[in-house]
Amino acid sequence: MNLRSSVDIITEWDIVAARQLGRNEAKDVGFGTVDQARITTAISELARNIYLYAGKGKIEIRQITEGNLRGLLVIASDKGPGIPDVRKVMEDGYTTSGGLGAGLPGVKRLMDDFKIETVLGEGTTISATKLLR
Amino acid sequence: MPQEFKRQYKEILKQYTERQTEHNLYEGQNFSRQLIQKNISPEEVISIHKASLEELMPDLPNDVSHSFDLLIEVMIRYGLALKEHQTLIKKQENFKMEMELASNVQQTLLKTKVPEMNDLDIGMISVPAKEMNGDYTHFLNDDTTVGIAVADVIGKGIPAALCMSMIKYGMDSLNGAKTEPVVVLDVINRIVEKSVSDSMFISMFYGTYDTSQSVFTYASAGHEPPLFYCAKSNSFTELQAKGLLLGVISNVKYEQHTITLEKDDFIVMMTDGVTECRSKDGFIDQNTVMDIIESVRDQSAQDMVEYVFHKLEELQEFEQRDDFTLVIFKKK
Amino acid sequence: MNISVELQKVDELHIKGLIGGEIDAFTAPMLREKLAELNLQKDLHVELNLTDVSYMDSTGLGVFVGFYKTVNAANGHMELTGLSSRLKRLFDITGLVEIMDIQATDKEVKIDETV
Repeated sequence: MNLRSSVDIITEWDIVAARQLGRNEAKDVGFGTVDQARITTAISELARNIYLYAGKGKIEIRQITEGNLRGLLVIASDKGPGIPDVRKVMEDGYTTSGGLGAGLPGVKRLMDDFKIETVLGEGTTISATKLLR
Repeated sequence: MPQEFKRQYKEILKQYTERQTEHNLYEGQNFSRQLIQKNISPEEVISIHKASLEELMPDLPNDVSHSFDLLIEVMIRYGLALKEHQTLIKKQENFKMEMELASNVQQTLLKTKVPEMNDLDIGMISVPAKEMNGDYTHFLNDDTTVGIAVADVIGKGIPAALCMSMIKYGMDSLNGAKTEPVVVLDVINRIVEKSVSDSMFISMFYGTYDTSQSVFTYASAGHEPPLFYCAKSNSFTELQAKGLLLGVISNVKYEQHTITLEKDDFIVMMTDGVTECRSKDGFIDQNTVMDIIESVRDQSAQDMVEYVFHKLEELQEFEQRDDFTLVIFKKK
Repeated sequence: MNISVELQKVDELHIKGLIGGEIDAFTAPMLREKLAELNLQKDLHVELNLTDVSYMDSTGLGVFVGFYKTVNAANGHMELTGLSSRLKRLFDITGLVEIMDIQATDKEVKIDETV
């Protein structure tokens, strides 16, 4: 099974569309309310980053299976400026999150697996997975 | 595990909806302790509440039930903030431990042994105001000569401690106790000037005592002048030596002076933690310090420095604001 | 534990400052910040009046040394005026009086010993 769908992020309203897509897919996989809220919060955060720092990009959602577990893969990609210091943005208490528990460390906490690829001047791709246990 | 919590919570909720007693509320409060211990996030608690409520009240209106979904959404970030807070607290604990470790390393690194000399009685005390000492004392000696460095790093804490390792490194590169004081200061000034930030610098006094001649040779880099006590005239004089603080500019001319000691004469070297003592009536002036020292002039050098420290501690009402270092060289 | 710092631009190349109170480990960071806010253009002359400074320790000294180095690097000039005898002694001992432009008060002022 490899269903995929995506939302282009250009305006702030697209963040809502990405959330909606994420919620539909999460429900479809069988995630409960709390995990749905976690996945959509992670999607919000990733989409917001694209909207604020890259200008435009894409949120892609895929249903996946890992072993005998079903799950959801969220891929946020943009062709923005890239992240100069990944370690720093992954640090808790880093200024952009302002200690509000958000930002990329927040996304990492909300999901089970988190990968980030970034090239300065070329863009950033973040993949985050959550499995249904 | 959450299933077990749900069962417990449902029971507490059932009791409370039936009878709103303080006892039932207390049960709820105790339950929250368990939840926190097991790292159950706020959104999960609400989800447990929602599920329990729906089971207890099959006729629960749909809109009430939905309202909890909104609340779950709202609480997600509280959960994240809580987790972030927990990791930051752990980090802080690690920092504190590292700080203590660093302070131990510093103490080991900067440990100096007060030498035993034939002709000279030496006393030394150095007490930091905080964990890390910004004062530095170091002895160098061979059979006939003993060199003493007393330095005060301006700025406190970790930067000062790191700075001190630099002086230590400079001192280790010297050729033993007979090195001329002006050479010592020049070498260390060059090291410090190259490597230290703009608003950090060091004051340092360096002296060598030659037991075969009873001559003390000294130079100062902007350091508090030592006091010389002459037993014959029963009087103190300051040992002045011009010289700029270490680390301000690279080429500094330091003055070097000598003084000959007679029996029972002594030299008191110190940092500004001694001269800048403040009591509730204002500054403790130099004369007071001299009087205190003079009152114990017949005791051993070590007893003298300890007495002066305790006396000044008393006058400051045991509130030590600055690192305190005092060294006495007394001719036997 | 109080400090006051007033900096005033006299003209394009001249800044006058009036510093008062106590300069110690607690107040020195504030003084450093205020001085760092100055736009240090080339050939700037900064005169800091310390008449109302009742106490200063080595941390305060550090601030002035740091500022002196920054001003010098920009080809400027720093002048300290109105130093009491106690303050002057600090600059004497540290040898800074040899490299800095330091003016003590003309008259022997009575120093307030109560803190």
